[in-house]
Amino acid sequence: MRKYTMPMLLALLGPALAWAAPNPKLVMPEFPGLAQKASESVTITLDPTLLSMAGRFLDGNDPQDAATKEIIKGLRGIYVRSYTFDKDTEYAQSDIDAVRSQLSAPGWNRLVETHSRKTRANVDIYIMIDHDQAVGLALIASEPRQFTIVNIIGAIDLDKLHKLEGQFGVPKLDIDESKTPAQEPRKERGSAPPPKS
Amino acid sequence: MNQDIESGMRSALRPVAPSDEFSRKLLARVAADPQARPKSYGLMPRSARPLAWWLATSLAACLVLAVGIERHLEQQRLQQSGLEARREVLQALRVTSQKLNLAFEAVKSQSTSLADEKPGL
Amino acid sequence: MNDAGFDVLDEYLAKARSGERAALASLVRAHQRSVYSLALRMLGTRDLAEDLTQDVFMQLNGNLSTIESNRHLGFWLRQVTTNRAIDQLRRRSRVQLTSLDEEQELFCAEDGTDPLLQRHLRALLSDLSPQARAVLLLRYQEDLDPMDIARALDMPINTVKSHLKRSLETMREKTGGIPMRCEDQPT
Repeated sequence: MRKYTMPMLLALLGPALAWAAPNPKLVMPEFPGLAQKASESVTITLDPTLLSMAGRFLDGNDPQDAATKEIIKGLRGIYVRSYTFDKDTEYAQSDIDAVRSQLSAPGWNRLVETHSRKTRANVDIYIMIDHDQAVGLALIASEPRQFTIVNIIGAIDLDKLHKLEGQFGVPKLDIDESKTPAQEPRKERGSAPPPKS
Repeated sequence: MNQDIESGMRSALRPVAPSDEFSRKLLARVAADPQARPKSYGLMPRSARPLAWWLATSLAACLVLAVGIERHLEQQRLQQSGLEARREVLQALRVTSQKLNLAFEAVKSQSTSLADEKPGL
Repeated sequence: MNDAGFDVLDEYLAKARSGERAALASLVRAHQRSVYSLALRMLGTRDLAEDLTQDVFMQLNGNLSTIESNRHLGFWLRQVTTNRAIDQLRRRSRVQLTSLDEEQELFCAEDGTDPLLQRHLRALLSDLSPQARAVLLLRYQEDLDPMDIARALDMPINTVKSHLKRSLETMREKTGGIPMRCEDQPT
């Protein structure tokens, strides 16, 4: 009888224990209708298997790949939903509230809540801590023509993540591109052979 | 003088090789590109050999080919999936770091405004 | 490249068109130096050059059936590389690129041209407009004649000649005083 006591206890208490542990994975809504309205949408779902596969194809000798590999080492999931629209206010706050409401569950702590008058962007960042370690990140960014939800599961290093921006070909510039006249791209010709000599 | 500057240009502009690492990656990506699939396998050439022998050889060749192609396609699929996963990871982290930067910029500008309002602090 | 070299590459091209990967790889190896160098000297950084080089060869993959010969392939690669680079430079016209960060040779060239002069010439190249830069590269790196350059860049022949003349004059002015040859260096 004694040898069955522990397994029985675990079987009985297991679900309760699982329920007590915080779950950093958000339930992402389908956002029906938004994909059709959006001029651009990004849906990324990377579970542990895909992250591990991606890791095998990241080249340790390439600085960008190496930095990325370093970041995803402790991660168990990355989920992104991002919608960009041609006009302001094409999406409703209620679209995002379904996600935001999950962040009031135990375990989530709001790290920062920002609002920029210049960009009219609101960015909220939440962290889930378990045993003094970050085990999940949730980021909600809403701008007039775009909203983005990011959910990262696992041990995250925010500082490394922030520093990655310069490496992704996104130049850190203070250039006002609103004054740049649009130019037609040159056509890529490739059909006319040179004269045979 | 003309010749000197032109020969100077030719020397200065001798082609440089990319790194070995890049070459390796480039060849792998070109090989994995779905557009590199063979357009057609072509027909078996006609032969004057006896029909039975020809049929047997063709069947055997087709079998070997089928197995080889299947394995190759499977490897190609795995490679494609891996490359696609890598692409998605990079995109996801790019988006995340862009939004983090938005937040950091907002916090920075708020700190600057507070400092301007209360210079003594 | 001599005729024998071209014959072999023509054979690789035929095989690559029917799907032989090893043949395709051989073609990439044969031409990657030229494409990469064009991309590097047009765009100025290794990262951008590598991206463009990869894009060009991926595009080639989808267009193999239109390539008639290895000579045509070489022309096609130069044409697509320079035109795509010019498009990129137009879109990034306000971005201040770092100076060319390719490997620098620090010894005298085989023809005796001074390495400092070479470095200076490469730096002057990056000050030219994208079109002028492309003309000079196709002329002095790829050894195309002005007619082929005009065809590659879809530019009138007189414009090509004008770019060559003006760019060389500028370079001549700005390199005045720099020893042309190693043996001319002051001791």
